[in-house]
Amino acid sequence: MTTASPRAGRARTRRGPADLPFSFADRGLAEALAAEREEPDWLRADRVAAIERSEALALETNPLYTGYLDLRAADLSTARPYVRTASAGSSGEAGVGTSDRLPDGLSALIELREDTIPTLAIAPEAAAAGVVVESFGAALRRDPDGLRAAIEGGAGLPDDKLAQLVRGVWSQGVRVVVPDGVRLERPIVVRWAAGEPGRALVTRTSVRLGREAAAAVVEEIIPSGPGGIAPDAPQSLVAGTFEAAVGPGAALEVASIQELGPTAIVLQQRAAGIGDGGSLRWALAQLGGRIVRARNDNRLEGDRSSVEQVEIVFGAGEQLVDLTTYTRHLGRDTTGNVLSKGALRDRARMYLKGMAIIDRSAIGTDSFLGEYGMNLSKGARSVAIPSLEIDQPDCRRAAHSSSVGPIDETQVFYLESRGIPDDEARKFIVLGYLEPVVARVPWAPAEERLRALLSARWDEGRPAAEAA
Amino acid sequence: MTTTRDIVADQRDQYAFHDEIVYLKESGRGLSRETVEEISRFKDEPDWMREFRLRAYDHFVQRPIPAWTEGLDRIDFDRIVYYRKPSEREEKSWDDVPEQIKATFERLGIPEAERKFLAGVGAQYDSEVVYHSVREELAKIGVVFMGTDQGLKEHPEIFRQYFGTIVPPEDNKFAALNSAVWSGGSFVYVPKGVEVPLPLQAYFRINGENTGQFERTLIVVDEGAKVHYIEGCTAPIYATDSLHAAVVEVVALPGSKVRYTTIQNWSNDVYNLVTKRAHAYEDSVVEWVDANTGSRRTYKYPSIYLRGERARAEIISVAVGGKGQHQDTGAKAIHLAPNTTSRIVSKSVSKDGGRTSYRGQIRVAPGSTGVTASVRCDALMLDDISRSDTYPYIDIQEDDTTMTHEATVGKISADQVFYLMSRGLTENEAQNLIIQGFLEVFTKELPMEYAIEFNRLVKMEMEGSLG
Repeated sequence: MTTASPRAGRARTRRGPADLPFSFADRGLAEALAAEREEPDWLRADRVAAIERSEALALETNPLYTGYLDLRAADLSTARPYVRTASAGSSGEAGVGTSDRLPDGLSALIELREDTIPTLAIAPEAAAAGVVVESFGAALRRDPDGLRAAIEGGAGLPDDKLAQLVRGVWSQGVRVVVPDGVRLERPIVVRWAAGEPGRALVTRTSVRLGREAAAAVVEEIIPSGPGGIAPDAPQSLVAGTFEAAVGPGAALEVASIQELGPTAIVLQQRAAGIGDGGSLRWALAQLGGRIVRARNDNRLEGDRSSVEQVEIVFGAGEQLVDLTTYTRHLGRDTTGNVLSKGALRDRARMYLKGMAIIDRSAIGTDSFLGEYGMNLSKGARSVAIPSLEIDQPDCRRAAHSSSVGPIDETQVFYLESRGIPDDEARKFIVLGYLEPVVARVPWAPAEERLRALLSARWDEGRPAAEAA
Repeated sequence: MTTTRDIVADQRDQYAFHDEIVYLKESGRGLSRETVEEISRFKDEPDWMREFRLRAYDHFVQRPIPAWTEGLDRIDFDRIVYYRKPSEREEKSWDDVPEQIKATFERLGIPEAERKFLAGVGAQYDSEVVYHSVREELAKIGVVFMGTDQGLKEHPEIFRQYFGTIVPPEDNKFAALNSAVWSGGSFVYVPKGVEVPLPLQAYFRINGENTGQFERTLIVVDEGAKVHYIEGCTAPIYATDSLHAAVVEVVALPGSKVRYTTIQNWSNDVYNLVTKRAHAYEDSVVEWVDANTGSRRTYKYPSIYLRGERARAEIISVAVGGKGQHQDTGAKAIHLAPNTTSRIVSKSVSKDGGRTSYRGQIRVAPGSTGVTASVRCDALMLDDISRSDTYPYIDIQEDDTTMTHEATVGKISADQVFYLMSRGLTENEAQNLIIQGFLEVFTKELPMEYAIEFNRLVKMEMEGSLG
């Protein structure tokens, strides 16, 4: 393993795998952000408390996982964070949210490009029902108490260095509120365009569903620049949280597709609390980025609450994708179903770390954790650490399974016997393996796009002779 | 839980005894460089071994307590007696063994076991091998089975070639401790092509309050040879903490087959930290069959490094964790050569607030093509004050590995208990039967009287919680 990239002309201090690759996220930045936005005292104090907490924590506090993280390939020593705030308003304000900019089939669309908000549109019926899609800045003006209740103290965020870092130095935030009893038929799209070389974008997303509400959110994380980014361009940081509060009887579906460029360092924290009878379905796809480190925390607080999480990785090149999921069962008769799958080309690495925790209070739990890897190249490496910690044996199921294997040759043979060429057959098998996430994207255009991205990812890896 | 007829007689007394032994040589409490030198001098060891011990001691002192688990910081290293020798020399025949020690072994049933079919007995009483016999026919075919200290003296060439190469002192803090102060254990060498027809048995005991037991076992099985080694452990129950930090090194040369069976029943005050590792060369087979009951904490992960093509690894690990106990056990298979296979089966039972953790690793290094590996972990929890964890690590760096891992945790099914009770069993009997069935994958691998003893140990562990 290399310790430092031999980039000419720049002296780099040697960093350990768990050292942050940047130093801008400090109290000074937190204060500057609060000042720039003229934030209320509680928010400024919240930022400062968070950044102090972040500084006190190690990057990985779980001793089970300390051997499996590596940020050494990240170099963000010169990356500059955004301080100036974007000036878009709330969907409820005049001048924004014109529905003619809303694509068919959506309840709302918010597009954020680096530190600007080019589009914010909400369907009239959704707006009429009280659905809110807005920036944190707008929320602070329109509904400061509501925002405070949602984000102060980092309520749903774990005691994690990166989660607290984002809470301290976020520059952009998106808030989605679906009131009690409102069931949206059509999804809300949150599109982040990010990854400008040399910049660091730190964001928060807060989604709250009231009692018996229902909604689907599609999060698209795409490159902001036109065309491809040169591989030797300075790296960018794209860090963010996704904080979900699912009320009693509510149903939330979240699809997230991350397809940033090859020089992006992606740090994601997703945390969800689910109330009585509430359900949450995650469909997550990780495609882009040089390093991706993502952590999901699912808290099944309510009785009969459930979470279903499917996550896929299609790694290539020198990518390192490092995913951790904690699913904590607290209520009675909760259900957790977490499935992670990765296909790796070239010298890509994937660390899948999953932990299902069944508290003593969680009688009648059904918990499953599955982690699967497919190494498509000799240089690929896949690591799976599916763990269970169980304090309550009275469960319907508490199990995990994991497997790593090559493409099944009998499946290739079967497809070939039906006249499908070898390469095509292999592609079908790999895309089929990743399909469980694709099929769950709750918006057809995003679903098709993800399918096309996966297909392209396979095609890039074909040997030149075959591709010709 | 309802009151039901107790089917298990309390047999703890049989295993919980403490004889008054006059220790002829004792190192005193605590560990220092001088203690290490003294042990080496007592034993009249060659310079290289003394240097090895000192190197290990230095590493032990420097190395922090492992951070990945809790509880180890409670061990008070200064309270432990690192060396004591109950009798002056190795005994060749049963008649020469001092009466009091002999009486202890009789309570453990060793002579009967030997008379039945065991090939050799190396019984460890505290820190030294006191009794040792190898059947004549084994000696004739060149099988070496003796105390590790004796092995160092009598077979220096084989000993030095392999000793400390499988588990170097720098491997971990407790391997370093063992390397510094090791005493006793077994040394086995099976020459090329020799199949040892009967299991070799060593019975280990800790006696004496706060005695550390640091046995060191080295087993070298030459090309095409075959051996089954069995160790069993019982220990008296004491209130203060005891420490058992052993190292077992197994070398399976090409085409050989080694099975190493352990039944452990340390008393509930013992910290049991064992580094067990085997190197498996081409076409060899290594099997660890490992049961852990008793002890306060056990940290044990028998591992197999598959170094030669087509080598095969099998690990069956069983743990029972009761009140105040934490069984942190598991297995590791490290695939370093093509077409190697491994299979790990782990079963655990936790109860009365006890905790069992499976911690294991499957690793496939680059270049190890055609690997097949499987892991199966099942845990039973008998009540909701107990805890069960599973921490598997799977690290695959090849593109044609076939690896599967499965784990489940649950309680005894009420339906099964009801069915058995409808057939006339008490609830206690029904639960015991279900637990024995759950652990059968392990017991069926044992020689008969060990299987009986193991079932008895499990019943002993269960009594008090059931019924």
